[in-house]
Amino acid sequence: MRRSVSFAVLSALGLLGMSALTAPPKNLAILAAQKAETAEVKIDNFSFGPATLTVPAGTTVTWTNRDDIPHTVTSSDDPKLFKSKVLDTDEKFSFTFSKAGTYSYFCSIHPKMTAKVIVQ
Amino acid sequence: MSGGFLRTAAPLTANAVLLMETAMGVALLFGAWLARTKRFRQHAWCQSAIVLLNLAVIAVAMTPSFRLQVLPRIPGKLAKPYYALATAHAALGTVAELAALYILIAAGTRLLPEKLRITRYKAWMRSVLLLWWLVVLLGFATYVRWYVPDLFR
Repeated sequence: MRRSVSFAVLSALGLLGMSALTAPPKNLAILAAQKAETAEVKIDNFSFGPATLTVPAGTTVTWTNRDDIPHTVTSSDDPKLFKSKVLDTDEKFSFTFSKAGTYSYFCSIHPKMTAKVIVQ
Repeated sequence: MSGGFLRTAAPLTANAVLLMETAMGVALLFGAWLARTKRFRQHAWCQSAIVLLNLAVIAVAMTPSFRLQVLPRIPGKLAKPYYALATAHAALGTVAELAALYILIAAGTRLLPEKLRITRYKAWMRSVLLLWWLVVLLGFATYVRWYVPDLFR
């Protein structure tokens, strides 16, 4: 009887130990959840690429101007959710999309340049 | 990028300004012809109207655009052709408009003191007309560099 009790206790301790080894520590799991997603949009030859970008909520999108002419990244929403300064060649602009939705934007210097970010 | 007014990447304002400035340049030539045909009153009205209209276009459309898109980048990036063209256009355009206003005030009013009045009108007017057209051509070049893809690349 004494042996079976100690075996049960040892088994329980063993199981606890295994679960501690397989499950990530609580603070690490939170860090993983908070790890920011990123996505890139290139501006080149008077267009945004990709023209439609689909990302999960919380993603930070970075636009890079690869064109040899200045451009901007301006939200079509009113009031404007985001608006970059005038981006010269190789300059970047970033914005984090925290809520789901479809966000259209354009270049305020060349308004026919349009694109959108779909946040899921 | 869909085609549209003038089928370039320019916004409506830039297209409207381009057409207006071209029309004003042509109208100034017409005004010069009026002077050559001795119709001085019509000449005065024509040139005055254009100079004042241009002042309005500068104030309403060109200055805000220049302040937002070009001014923050100069003089640091003047080596880039699109900033250099826009800056040369703005600088010479300012000189042309001020000179034209000076002629307008000197010839059409008695506001200026005697010693500031113009004596050689023809030389002044022809010089300003020439400068004005140089500015119009620089405006074309600026428009093309900023708004027409695949040209000069």
